[in-house]
Amino acid sequence: MPTLTIDGREITVDPGTTVIQAAEELGIYIPRYCWHPGLKIAGNCRICQVEVVNPKLKFPCTIACNLMCGDGMVIETDSDEAKKARADVMEFLLINHPLDCPICDQAGECTLQEFSYEYGHDKSRFTEEKVHKSKRVQFSDQVSFDGERCILCTRCVRFCRDVVGNEELCLVERGDHEEIAVANGGGLTNPYSMNVIDLCPVGALTSSDFRFKSRVWFLEETPSACTSCARNCAVDIGTRWDKVMRLKPRENEHVNKWWMCDEGRLNYHYVNAADRLGYAYVQQGGKLVRTSVDDAVAMAHELIGKLPAEKLYGLISARLTNEEIFLAKRYLDQVAGAAGVGFLPRIGEGDDFLISADRNPNARGAGLIGVSAAKGLAADIKAGKVKGLVIFGDSFDHDEELMGALADLDFLVVMDYRLSETAKQADVILPGVTFAEKEGSITNIDGWVSKLNPALPPPAEARRNLDLLAGLLGRAGQDVPDTAEGVFRLLAETVSAFTDISYGEIFAASRQVATDAVVKAD
Amino acid sequence: MSLKPTNILLRGMEKESSATIENYISEDGYKALEKALKEMKPEEIVAEVAKARIRGRGGAGFEAGRKWGFLPKGVDKPVYLACNADESEPGTFKDRHIMEHCPHRLLEGCLLACYAIGSKTGYIYVRGEFPGAQQSLWRAIDEAHEKGYMGEKILGTDFSCEIYVHTGAGAYVCGEETGMLSSIEGGRGHPRLKPPFPAVEGLFRCPTIVNNVETLSNVPFVIHEGADAFLALGTDDTPGPKLFCVSGHVEKPGCYEFEAGANLKELLEHCGGVWKGRKLKGIIPGGASAHILKPDEIDVSMDFGSMARAGSILGSAGMIVLDETTCIVELLRNALEFFAHESCGQCTPCREGTGWAKKIVTRIEAGEGTMEDIDKLWEVADNFEGMGGKTICALADAAAWPTKSYVEKFRDEFEEHVRLGRCPMKG
Repeated sequence: MPTLTIDGREITVDPGTTVIQAAEELGIYIPRYCWHPGLKIAGNCRICQVEVVNPKLKFPCTIACNLMCGDGMVIETDSDEAKKARADVMEFLLINHPLDCPICDQAGECTLQEFSYEYGHDKSRFTEEKVHKSKRVQFSDQVSFDGERCILCTRCVRFCRDVVGNEELCLVERGDHEEIAVANGGGLTNPYSMNVIDLCPVGALTSSDFRFKSRVWFLEETPSACTSCARNCAVDIGTRWDKVMRLKPRENEHVNKWWMCDEGRLNYHYVNAADRLGYAYVQQGGKLVRTSVDDAVAMAHELIGKLPAEKLYGLISARLTNEEIFLAKRYLDQVAGAAGVGFLPRIGEGDDFLISADRNPNARGAGLIGVSAAKGLAADIKAGKVKGLVIFGDSFDHDEELMGALADLDFLVVMDYRLSETAKQADVILPGVTFAEKEGSITNIDGWVSKLNPALPPPAEARRNLDLLAGLLGRAGQDVPDTAEGVFRLLAETVSAFTDISYGEIFAASRQVATDAVVKAD
Repeated sequence: MSLKPTNILLRGMEKESSATIENYISEDGYKALEKALKEMKPEEIVAEVAKARIRGRGGAGFEAGRKWGFLPKGVDKPVYLACNADESEPGTFKDRHIMEHCPHRLLEGCLLACYAIGSKTGYIYVRGEFPGAQQSLWRAIDEAHEKGYMGEKILGTDFSCEIYVHTGAGAYVCGEETGMLSSIEGGRGHPRLKPPFPAVEGLFRCPTIVNNVETLSNVPFVIHEGADAFLALGTDDTPGPKLFCVSGHVEKPGCYEFEAGANLKELLEHCGGVWKGRKLKGIIPGGASAHILKPDEIDVSMDFGSMARAGSILGSAGMIVLDETTCIVELLRNALEFFAHESCGQCTPCREGTGWAKKIVTRIEAGEGTMEDIDKLWEVADNFEGMGGKTICALADAAAWPTKSYVEKFRDEFEEHVRLGRCPMKG
């Protein structure tokens, strides 16, 4: 275990630790472009210069990313020598850079800007013609490339090669004409391609989905989790003008490291879509008529109460949070006495990296709470065994069998965030919310519990799902909490798998939002 | 040290048939291999080579025997030999001579090295522009197979070894040892971060010894005649024979063999002096990347230590002689065009800096520079020079040394370009 001194502070580290990592442990941030904790060391950008204090060295500076900590080593990260070495690299990086920050999408989250502010010169000594390179190249439908902004750090190349395992991106040409390119005239087609946009420390790789929509400093970023599959990748939801503008992966060592898939990243447009439910509706004379949410909750409860309990079935979406599923099940079990509850399974194609074949984000949580996949529901409706159906947070517009069976029901109650074809058949529609508008926890395929945070208010008169569910339970005289925290406590008291998880562990930590208590509980 | 001719590395070269195995055998060829395989253990070879202190003839001057000793012990991986025959330092053509005229000496050196380091496979990475050397080596490899010096169970012993020629595609940076390994593996010729050094993790991530052609060609002599015979030649700093490549404005350019430590001034006289009776302007002693020496600085011994003390490098011993009509600014522009073009593009300072320096000196040469440009040129070079700290490999240093030394030693000539607004040498 080598002990070294960095900026006058001693630290003992594991063998094999590099100086950039050891400094990070001390809270000392050394600038970097090519180095990334999730990628192999390239050592090409040379910005992470530190001074190795040793009078024998003619050139005392070297890169911290490939410098293994040695016993007795003395490192200065902020000495005049180190700062000059960084300033020199900064100058070299900028001579051929177009300096087009005013129109660059990366502006505001560009480390070239940041380190230039710290180490750059106020004037350029470069009076030559800049090198011109490829501009506006679409590497794929989603990723655009600007060769002149690129600083050749090769993070994108290494991500494709070392993390995804293909060689879709490569280097071409040499010297100051070197460029990133798609290999062999192919495309950037891997399902994780958009991570190169986050990895790119400058504005060379930008998102076709997000570019030119908003300056990033106007975005509000809310830590949350992706709900597109059972992986639950940690994300930041970027919002502005009450709309989701983008999703970006957030580091979570247990769930997704630094990455997320393109499908999940782009799966937010429905939050901003025109078919969102802003109001409650009831069916009157073959037409949906807008009503107050409170009246709709009362009517739903009344309808459900009229039907003999053995004819009632509840679909509780495995897209809902642990808390929502818990309250929905409690209502259906304890109040309505439904004959059955279940969730609609969703299976797609998975891989051995992040994408789970289970496209329900919270099937694991649903299972732990006692809701399993629904079976033979259409047949049961057709056979008259189910006459009343309550759907919490789901729809089956493309399931012809289930859609065809709806006509045989006495009543249908739907709580959802959008006016789906399924919802249009309902007697009562309760306007709920999406993942972006609510707080709660979800349990991923491996048992890690992550937290969703509200990035937006519910649209118009729509209400948080927990409010609607607590309202239904309230109608039956059950006083339950309507906050995610309160319901989680109730859940943890009731469902053993969650007992060891403290609320604070999931809900307070801003970066590490998972706990393995559920895994242990298995 | 005065000039003392030796006849070891280029022995027999004057004959038409010098490259044939018959000729090589007639001059004691492959006797060292036979002695090694039948009488010596691999570690004895390593010890003998270490004792001889053969300093790396590619230019870095690192002792071959010490390098061989860095191989990790008890690793369950194949060990490779990679002979660096990419000889692409401008002004250097000694390895080409060995490969074209005495290929078997190199092959015997490779086989001895493989036996010593426990390798069954050696690669000779031959520069793409050397088709003659490639053909010569391929013929020699066939001959060596026929005579039983290469292949399975060499000379009836348990030692089996194959040597392959890998042809380069014309990149200077592939002469950097790890750039060469990347190229042999089929990748871009990108030098690699060190550590790990090739001896620990080299070709195909296996322990690899990289030696230059001339270095390996010294090994048969060391084994056949003994390390003491080798140590009796040259200087204490750099023992053994040495090839010197003399080119430029000189009466008798060529590849000469003398004991290491030959006096540079005497060597110039031996080669007939500056051509056309002109005066000497300077000598670049160790390939284009070396610091220039002015006429009053050339009374120096051509070994690694003496050259360093003289403020330059022995490098590849590619001596470029410059007469009084040479425009130093043009010379630097030519050199920087080369280095900027050959920069692999990985490291920021080299990628951006060499191109920048090239543009500045191009303007000065065209008479469009300013006095500030001269300082800027020096500073830019100073900012990308850094012996491994600022860049992965030494290509940036190779570009910085001529730039800084030309500006320092011939500043008046740069200033004259600025003052006149044109090249003073071209009227």
